[in-house]
Amino acid sequence: MTVGLPHFLALSAIVFCIGVYGMLTRRNAVGVLMSIELMFNAVNITLVAFAHYITPQDVTGQVVAVFTIAVAAAEATVALAIVLLIYQHHKGIDVDNVNIMKW
Amino acid sequence: MVSDFAAVAVFLIVGVGFVLFTLLLSKIFRPSDPNPIKQSTYECGEEPFGPSWIQFNVRFYIFALMFVIFDVEAIFLFPWAIAYQSLGLFAFVEMLIFISILLFGLAYAWKKGLLKWY
Amino acid sequence: MPFDIVQFYADWQTILPECFLLVWACIVTMAAVFSRNSGEGTSTGTYAIWTLIGVLVTAVWVALTPDGTAFGGTFVFDRLAVLFKEIVLGGVLLTVISSIGPVDRMKLHRGEFFGLLLFSAVGMMLMVSATELLLLYIAIELSTVTLFVLAAYRKANRKSAEAGLKYVILGGISSAVLLYGVALLYGMTGSTELAGIRNGIGDLFMASGSFPPGLTMALLLLLAGFGFKLALAPFHMWAPDVYEGAPTPITAYLSVASKAAAVAAFLRVFFVGLESSQTLWVQAVAVLAALAMIVGNVTAIVQSNIKRMLAYSSVAQIGYILVGAVAVNTWGATSMTYYAMAYLFANMGAFICVIAFSNRMGSDEIDDYAALSRRSPTIAVFFSIFLLSLAGIPPTAGFLAKYYVFLAAINNGYLWLVIVGLLTSVIALYYYATVIRKMFFPLDQPEGGFPVSLPLTIALSISCLGVLLLGVFPGPFVDLAQAAAAMLMPGM
Repeated sequence: MTVGLPHFLALSAIVFCIGVYGMLTRRNAVGVLMSIELMFNAVNITLVAFAHYITPQDVTGQVVAVFTIAVAAAEATVALAIVLLIYQHHKGIDVDNVNIMKW
Repeated sequence: MVSDFAAVAVFLIVGVGFVLFTLLLSKIFRPSDPNPIKQSTYECGEEPFGPSWIQFNVRFYIFALMFVIFDVEAIFLFPWAIAYQSLGLFAFVEMLIFISILLFGLAYAWKKGLLKWY
Repeated sequence: MPFDIVQFYADWQTILPECFLLVWACIVTMAAVFSRNSGEGTSTGTYAIWTLIGVLVTAVWVALTPDGTAFGGTFVFDRLAVLFKEIVLGGVLLTVISSIGPVDRMKLHRGEFFGLLLFSAVGMMLMVSATELLLLYIAIELSTVTLFVLAAYRKANRKSAEAGLKYVILGGISSAVLLYGVALLYGMTGSTELAGIRNGIGDLFMASGSFPPGLTMALLLLLAGFGFKLALAPFHMWAPDVYEGAPTPITAYLSVASKAAAVAAFLRVFFVGLESSQTLWVQAVAVLAALAMIVGNVTAIVQSNIKRMLAYSSVAQIGYILVGAVAVNTWGATSMTYYAMAYLFANMGAFICVIAFSNRMGSDEIDDYAALSRRSPTIAVFFSIFLLSLAGIPPTAGFLAKYYVFLAAINNGYLWLVIVGLLTSVIALYYYATVIRKMFFPLDQPEGGFPVSLPLTIALSISCLGVLLLGVFPGPFVDLAQAAAAMLMPGM
């Protein structure tokens, strides 16, 4: 069996779905953020796989992946800072408790 | 292609198997005689106190956040450094601009006193 | 690669306004920390004035810059870009003026507030010019990541922190979904540039006579991503909480500028890049628009907090804008652009009234607006005009804007969507009118009136002038919108 493009796409789809599942079920804010990172990394797998198999002559997909990593890091930093702020208010980072506003 | 992966798989199986085998072997042969002093955590000869799941000082997080930013931005430096010879002056200037933007962030954090440990 | 000075100049000329604003944002931010007393001694007004100077210079610069494409066609400066850049800058301008009061009450980081606002404006300006999906993605991130921080800016306030958390989580998910769509699109067409994607989709169709399922998947993910960014109906759950918790000027900015920029990006991606595959997405957009109008307007009725009510109302407003998107032609784009202009002034004005009210009363509850016409006739009258414009009553801008989008939809055979739009407009009129009735028909005589500060009066007057001008003399503005829309489809 040779590993080809469909395998990479399947892998990334699975990782993306795990991310979505984790995002929906995690109660810990940091867990939710980790799930979101998982989703970003799934996208990176797709991008690099496409760059390798679809456009071997140029590196667009890889460049996009590099930028995604950097942007995701910036976003994660801001997210963690906000989680820290939530911790100071709620003495915990359980997202179920962060619900003063509803409807 | 297949044989390449087969070699990796054999290597993995042998590696994991060896660890499990030695653990199992020592489990079988060693005498089991637990007592409180033996089971306590070893902290370089210090008397251990408190659980390890303590709250870390919030400053660790601030430093970690800053580290993440500057660490990940280095991702742009590696491709640039590898292709430096062919990119020339223009890319060099661009990278200088990029690094000066990062320096701007560092200067901000410095001036705000985020690099100090009170 | 030889260095070409002419090309270099042509490239950078188109992006210089953004560069200037970026540098200006850095200066404002640094001034906040490097001035004496770490900036805490500098008055909020000083920061605001310097920020305004930067915004105004950029606005003039944008207006004077000639059209052109740059950086290998990934960045385009055309009439559409100019118009939406001016809309974004107008939004920033009004936000800065109206945030003097709220920011003044913050003890810390007052200068950075304006700096972050400018950074986010730079992101939006790049967003409306991007014709390459990576650039578009980075621009979107630049504008939203700064808005995450701004939403959580009242650090001592639990609601603000909660707004920040909800926004950052939902924003992160939407970025991931959008990016997955981009990745699949790249895989299908082999390009991230809109022109390349357009050709790639054409080739796909030529090859097999139908679209591959992967393309449908990519389009759905892109739509969901844009749906999150625009707060369309099934993806709007973050909007009310974020709008309520964020500082009110940021709420206003979020609801106007970021949405206008997202509409421009939507126009470029869907009307240009994905135009040939419109059979796949037009139906979905129609359903999303209908859902947004219904959910937004119906839920707005039961709100007791004015910011929440306006949040749901702006969900509905985006629904109305997207009604124009079912007409994938110049008319559709023109009507959407015109709607974006009308929405800028009306929604911004409404939020400025909320700011003026809460500056004095410290409350955002609709019940507290009772008898406002006795306390402050100025706010009451302005607020009524803005609400009527949002409802779409002539002679305000909202009426013509709704008329144009509905006309575009009817001409493309979407009568059911227009009927949904008209019915929900009636619902919208009901809850807007409830607020107006509360302001003008008091049951009891309230104690003491209050004046409106000069900056807020100026901001209100600008918004009101905009609403009335767009409503009474639409000619030049329609021409502007048409010129902008013509950029999308040079063939038509």
